[in-house]
Amino acid sequence: MKYILMMHGNQANWDEYGKWSKEDLERNVAFMRAFSKDLKDAGVFVDTKGLAWPQEAKTVRAGTSGEPVTDGVFPESKEFLAGYWIVDVEGAEQAYKIAARASAAPGLGGKPINMPIEVRRVLGSHSDLGL
Amino acid sequence: MRYILLMSGTKPGVDSYRAWSKRDIDTHMAVLTGISRELKESGEFVATQGLAAPHEAQVVRGVKDGTPITDGVFPESKEFLLGYWIVDVASPERACEIAGRISAAPGPGERPTNMPIEVRQFANHGPQS
Repeated sequence: MKYILMMHGNQANWDEYGKWSKEDLERNVAFMRAFSKDLKDAGVFVDTKGLAWPQEAKTVRAGTSGEPVTDGVFPESKEFLAGYWIVDVEGAEQAYKIAARASAAPGLGGKPINMPIEVRRVLGSHSDLGL
Repeated sequence: MRYILLMSGTKPGVDSYRAWSKRDIDTHMAVLTGISRELKESGEFVATQGLAAPHEAQVVRGVKDGTPITDGVFPESKEFLLGYWIVDVASPERACEIAGRISAAPGPGERPTNMPIEVRQFANHGPQS
């Protein structure tokens, strides 16, 4: 079963991350690389991506004649997707264990960030929604 | 340039989707499937994925006694990711154009859902291996 593990953060979280020292950033990125490698070695890795800064984020809605209407203003509390992993595992419990490892990624001074990781099942097809 | 187009909604929003008629759902899905097919034909398609209903969602934060600490309680206002499209396009305008078409996909009574679609670029550094 495939699960997506998502990291989110509001603008304030992103601003803090932007102030991390080079050493802290490098330690975090090294962890993320090793983590992906472990997932690959374990045969559960499907994909991982990091997203660009939320300053570039736009919301698009269709206008009256179908034209895109864009808006880049978000509430302060808005949780932006920061990145994700997709894993193919036996079940939810295994996905939670992997998420817990991601949650413990090193942050300032190498201490675990303990960031919340949202775990969601990925659909094989739309019919899996059972509508 | 690669962009991810994110479709999100609250639990009440998802509940109202579950109340759509089969015909409305079929019409909606036919348009989304058509958009994916066109993106494949134009060479702009990278991936698309739908997520399971938010009532299954759990947040994991740390470990206690070797067991992940999970929590499935979210504020009512929480925006859950419902699905996404990844596209490889020539410009941000083109990414927004595709997002606009997804937003215009028909809902109940074939009226456009006008769902907000968040358009984000990928980082070219960080946790990508």
